[in-house]
Amino acid sequence: MSKILGIDLGTTFSAMAVVESGEAKIVENKEGARTTPSIVAITKSGERVVGVLAKRQAVTNPHNTIFSVKRLIGRKFSDPEVQRDKKLLPYEIRESADGGVDVKMSDKWLNPAEISAMILQKLKTDAEAKLGQTITDAIITCPAYFDDSQRKATKIAGEIAGFNVKRVINEPTAAALAYGLNKKKDEKIVVYDFGGGTFDISILDIGSDTVEVKATGGDTHLGGDDFDQRIMDWIVKEFKKDNGVDLSKDNLALQRIKESAEKAKIELSSSLETEINLPFITSDQSGPKHLLYKIKRAQFEEMIQDYLDKSIELVKKTMKEAGLEPKDINEVVLVGGQTRMPKIQEDVKKFFGKEPNKEVNPDEVVAIGAAVQGGILQGEVRDVLLLDVTPLSLGIETLGGVNTVLIQKNTTVPTAKTQTFSTAADSQTSVEVHVLQGERPMAEGNKSLGRFILDGIPPSPRGLPQIEVSFDIDANGILSVSAKDKATGKSQSIKIEGSTGLSKEEVAKMKKEAELHAEEDKKKQSIIEAKNMADSLVYTSEKTIKEAGDKIPPEIKKTVEEKIEALKKAKESDNIEDIRAKTQELSEAIQKAGAELYKQQPNQPSGGEDKPKDNEEPKAEEGEYKEK
Amino acid sequence: MEEDIKKNDNNEFENLKKQLEEAAAKRDEYLCGWKRERADFINYKKEEIKKIGQLIKYANEELILKILPILDNFYLAEKHVPEGKEFTDGFLQIKKQFENFLAKEGIEPIEVMGKKFDPNLMEAAEEASGATDSANSAESGTVVEEIQRGYTLRGKLIRPARIKVAK
Repeated sequence: MSKILGIDLGTTFSAMAVVESGEAKIVENKEGARTTPSIVAITKSGERVVGVLAKRQAVTNPHNTIFSVKRLIGRKFSDPEVQRDKKLLPYEIRESADGGVDVKMSDKWLNPAEISAMILQKLKTDAEAKLGQTITDAIITCPAYFDDSQRKATKIAGEIAGFNVKRVINEPTAAALAYGLNKKKDEKIVVYDFGGGTFDISILDIGSDTVEVKATGGDTHLGGDDFDQRIMDWIVKEFKKDNGVDLSKDNLALQRIKESAEKAKIELSSSLETEINLPFITSDQSGPKHLLYKIKRAQFEEMIQDYLDKSIELVKKTMKEAGLEPKDINEVVLVGGQTRMPKIQEDVKKFFGKEPNKEVNPDEVVAIGAAVQGGILQGEVRDVLLLDVTPLSLGIETLGGVNTVLIQKNTTVPTAKTQTFSTAADSQTSVEVHVLQGERPMAEGNKSLGRFILDGIPPSPRGLPQIEVSFDIDANGILSVSAKDKATGKSQSIKIEGSTGLSKEEVAKMKKEAELHAEEDKKKQSIIEAKNMADSLVYTSEKTIKEAGDKIPPEIKKTVEEKIEALKKAKESDNIEDIRAKTQELSEAIQKAGAELYKQQPNQPSGGEDKPKDNEEPKAEEGEYKEK
Repeated sequence: MEEDIKKNDNNEFENLKKQLEEAAAKRDEYLCGWKRERADFINYKKEEIKKIGQLIKYANEELILKILPILDNFYLAEKHVPEGKEFTDGFLQIKKQFENFLAKEGIEPIEVMGKKFDPNLMEAAEEASGATDSANSAESGTVVEEIQRGYTLRGKLIRPARIKVAK
């Protein structure tokens, strides 16, 4: 079955997406970009170019480079919007025979739908090349305020491009779909769409199987580009003040300023300050001049606050038209690149008193939603197998009460994981497997799911026995834990039902607790780790001294023994620095002892169990059981 | 009596047969679903491997795009440095170092001067009016000035050259 292409046919940019194995994803164009400028041109050599290529040649060919045609599509020539835009557009338009608009491109008068069709055709060709299959079906989006004629024209554009247009859906509806909000019943959703050139506000009412547009508002000539302009104006003004040179007349300087203004705006969404650094911006009799300004986020916010206030005013107005109060709104969705600006998110949140949905890339969310609509129409070809995930991590308790995780949270089940552990003491004949669930690094902070004992381990030095612990969660969420002594083949196991069956609240509570205690837990964990390391070093040191007998000079032996005692004492407290320092001291002392041993037996092969290994971190997969 | 037993047997037989058929159908459905999942997974893996390959090839692209403006400024500065001084030589040596580094990474500048304007590789920043000498003599639609150098990375355009084109 061929895929349905979801298309966001935008005023300045367009994007496309398809559903692949149940998930909507953006399809890149031929140039490798995720969005395509909605620009079409006939070059001087008579070639038709679309997208970024058209944009690159625009300067040389302003009369035959058509952009923002969406502002004209399906409108009457007498429409005040059209009359307003007519003054701003560098290309020619006239009234068509039926009272609509005609656009002049390369001596030919074309319908806006025909021009939109050229954009759609490029998207179609690029998508087919990218996906390796013919695409005929498409869902195209349009603003919620589009009337019948505009929608019809949009559909015709799709048909001219060779699409079978399944639906023309509203952009805000698509955005809501991208967030899966169609599944919610009887909810009111506000879509706040602040793009590059337009600002749209839509209020949706999600019914049992319908999405109704309650009200729309906005400003067709307010967008992120206005923000860039404000920064540009500021730079030009500052430079004039400081250097007495007016850069607004210098086209090339202006292009550089425009670029860095946009860059600065983007950077200020993630950092509090940015630099506009343009060396050799211009020159006069005294030589070259450089431009270097710092701009703070707060400063930028102040520059454009009136725009933000205006947008909130428009939201209020639209809400009033819909007869709704902010408290009536269940969800808020952010669309458009400009909504990445923290101040916008903040203002919107303040107005509605709730966190807006903003996880999906705001430049792509409409196309994603259109693809989701395609997926719904197509009806999932086969049942999607819904697989659960483990909401919390699962592990066992190891030496010092540490929670050693075997299966990380959010792992898709069914799954299995095996890890080998060992004993903590010499001649330890049994181990206890204590199964834990939760995110806290210390065992005691987690939920205990069960415990069992594996005994009959042949007495041997600590660390030698190999005990394989397996966790297995089946598709029903039943967890089986087994432990097997590799030497004897003896094993024990436990079955725990409902390990994934915690209520949402329980999971949330446990996760929150983990976050709350993260700092303190980390400290506790590092103390345990330091103690475990000290313990291990004391053990090997004692063993070395004992086995070496009088091969070690008495004074070295004495130092080692002293250091062992000191470390043993330090271990009793929780003073981590002290434990680490004493561990280091003992480690140095035992190294000297080791060196003495080698000196006396130069021909012995190196290696061997008893060789003290200093400063060695325990291997990640080698936990040790606490002594029974 | 005997017939009843026979009938019962028959019934049971039919029942079992039906159950067997149902079970077989279920088995086929599940097996098919499982195979599909396996196939999906293998395809996903293949796709990921392909993606990672692409990613490695062009991973540096973003970083290089951020470095290029610094080199742009070098070129701007070059136009203003006084000639024939030792300092200038050193300065130009740094530029050379920069260029060599890019070349080694597979980044090549796009030759534009005197070429016909090509939107695939260039972005027109301005149309040169007849005022300048070079524009006067140049054929319409050819590049008369390079404002910002363009680059390709192993043949793929990473930044178009910004140029002035003759009217």
